[in-house]
Amino acid sequence: MKRGTKIFLFIAVALAALAAGLALHPLNRGPVVVTPAGLLETPLESIDGGKQPLGTWKGKVLVVNFWATWCAPCRKEIPEFIRMQERLKDQGLQFVGIAIDEKDKVVPYIREVGINYPVLVGELDAVEMSRSLGNELGALPFTVVVDRSGKVVHTILGATSEASLEPILKALF
Amino acid sequence: MSLQRLLLGIALGCAPATWAGQGDLLTPQQAFRLSAQLVSRNEIVVRYDIAPGYYLYRDKLKFATEPAAVALGVPRTPKAAVHEDEFFGRVEIYRGPVVIRVPVKLPAGTERFTLTARSQGCADAGVCYTPQQQQLVLGPGIGAAEPAGSGSLIDSLGGVRPEKTP
Repeated sequence: MKRGTKIFLFIAVALAALAAGLALHPLNRGPVVVTPAGLLETPLESIDGGKQPLGTWKGKVLVVNFWATWCAPCRKEIPEFIRMQERLKDQGLQFVGIAIDEKDKVVPYIREVGINYPVLVGELDAVEMSRSLGNELGALPFTVVVDRSGKVVHTILGATSEASLEPILKALF
Repeated sequence: MSLQRLLLGIALGCAPATWAGQGDLLTPQQAFRLSAQLVSRNEIVVRYDIAPGYYLYRDKLKFATEPAAVALGVPRTPKAAVHEDEFFGRVEIYRGPVVIRVPVKLPAGTERFTLTARSQGCADAGVCYTPQQQQLVLGPGIGAAEPAGSGSLIDSLGGVRPEKTP
């Protein structure tokens, strides 16, 4: 191999590693992005009573946020989600919260901060769904972006923000 | 430094992040290592060894026994650090090792019983773990115990293998 080609290849590999390193910053993304079978069909309890699967919102750009009232980093990002839902709803954005928590604590909190998107609640079933999406540690907050076809395209472990989410979503509108 | 060395340095420096992902976070069992021992017929000593960068909420520590005839008194938790939380205000948290003394009344003839310890904590990195529930078998003549196989919410789903406590 010519010296010039070797250097070119070396630079290409180094830059690819750099880009991957930056893109997959720890805590900024789960290790794998998988679309578990039955993701959209699994019913979870809705706060209005009854059960609803995520498939209810198929066709929208879906941001599924696993959270809890006892989780401080979750509380930090929720006001940003509320703003984004209002601002981007006409472009097809739909947030859905999945609270791994008690309904009695979730309902007053929804009113308190004015959550303007649907919230489902769960315990083991919700933890299992989050785990099937790559959140092996069962840590919160955990956020998943699903495209209009129902495919998971991005997962984020730890709090995210309007600024981080928007570029990911814009590519899907 | 040559360009090659510089690029290699950048690549190696960033590469761990490419496979780190959640690997940077400990499992809750690693972050909050639990052990306990019945030190006399009327006292259990519970110990959590909390890894640096992690903390447990004092008011979320709960204990229960099976059979319930093994009666627990009010746990004597040590003084905790006050954490100024943006959302919850002043909350008491533990870091490092924490030893909790739990009064217990053993019915005559009790050889062993199960202690269930419930805890909840977070990592400074900005995530909180779902409440953990771990079980230990204690009894007179049984030394320091470590959590049995499938204690926590996640373990019971077959997700994360429990970490053995030394």
